[in-house]
Amino acid sequence: MNSTPRTEPARVGTPATRVFGLLAVLFLGWVVVGGLFITPADAIQGDSVRIMYVHVPTAWVAYLAFIVTAIASAGYLFGKRHSLGFDRVAGASAEVGVLFMALTLMSGSLWGRLTWGTFWQWDPRLTTTAFLFVTYLGYLAVRGLGGTPERRAKRSAILALLAVLEIPLVHFSVLLWRSLHQEASVLSSDGDVKLDDLMLFTLLVGVLGFTALYGWLVSHRQRILTMRDIEEAKGIDLAISERIAEGSVR
Amino acid sequence: MDLSPRETNVSPAPRVRKRQWRYVALLLVVAVAGIVVVSQFLTSAIDYYCNVDEIGVKEGCDPDRRIRVQGTVEEGSVKEVLGATMFTLEFNGEKLAVAYEGDPGGIFQECIPVVAHGRLNGDTFEANRIEVRHSNEYVAENSERVEKAEKAGCSMITG
Repeated sequence: MNSTPRTEPARVGTPATRVFGLLAVLFLGWVVVGGLFITPADAIQGDSVRIMYVHVPTAWVAYLAFIVTAIASAGYLFGKRHSLGFDRVAGASAEVGVLFMALTLMSGSLWGRLTWGTFWQWDPRLTTTAFLFVTYLGYLAVRGLGGTPERRAKRSAILALLAVLEIPLVHFSVLLWRSLHQEASVLSSDGDVKLDDLMLFTLLVGVLGFTALYGWLVSHRQRILTMRDIEEAKGIDLAISERIAEGSVR
Repeated sequence: MDLSPRETNVSPAPRVRKRQWRYVALLLVVAVAGIVVVSQFLTSAIDYYCNVDEIGVKEGCDPDRRIRVQGTVEEGSVKEVLGATMFTLEFNGEKLAVAYEGDPGGIFQECIPVVAHGRLNGDTFEANRIEVRHSNEYVAENSERVEKAEKAGCSMITG
């Protein structure tokens, strides 16, 4: 049941992380240059629309991260081997998701100040997003509460499967309630894409860039978590062997 | 081999316990934050969110209570009077005069949808907070379109 690996990875970089890293640099490089200097300003919002190239991709990637956390958690809970590898992917993905969600909230707040005239409003979209952020902070806290890796994995997997149900509520909050936040422009309910072509291109490149960055961060982080588990397992092995040695001396 | 329990009282990994307490503290902070988020949302929801044409018609949109009113700023209606911003909100053919102390900020302008928080006093809605809504359409800014918008009035902005 316990699949804690006994061989320590030499380093956390892999060919996959290097590909993710390269793609992230390329795509996000375009977002910086294109977003700031090439794409046009919006007819109503002016230059403040450029915040969209960070705000929207980080929100989407945070959703993705939390969905991956849920899938990996289901893999741990319902898999035959109850592999701790799934748990580490779930934990790493949630950590990165929380980071991206924080970026979404901060960039949205700045954008709100420039367009709505206020940094924050307790409106349905903003409130449900803040609640989602707080929920996953709680998930990370629960992961750190101690116990064996199996107990940690089980309790956090159950929480992750419940927490992910908030995502549809966040996404559709602008349709369910009257909201200050605008409806989706790309995945809108009527299927129309309501964006200038170059803005849309830059937005999609931003999504690819932040997704590659997510892949890079999660790959590294889950390997670091693997190494940490190995260290703790080594500590337990050492304690047992010391105890056995003590016992045989008496 | 003697594997009987130890006689000495060895402290079980104080660093691990300290780390656990940190997570317990974080969990408490998260619980408090969750309560704050929900309570603020519910408190804010006390002010009904009404369209201009729903005032005095829809339940909760009574003229004698504090409400949030949504509508579009009528073209040519924005005036500054002694530091106050006066304008007319319209929605579904109904109009409402709004007075706001100060500059609404954001991208407030004619023909844009806004939400005004306040209370009706006679025929004027006295707002103490204005929020500008923007649509989910993003159109490139260019001089040709600005000229057309100036000629066409609100139709270019509101579609």
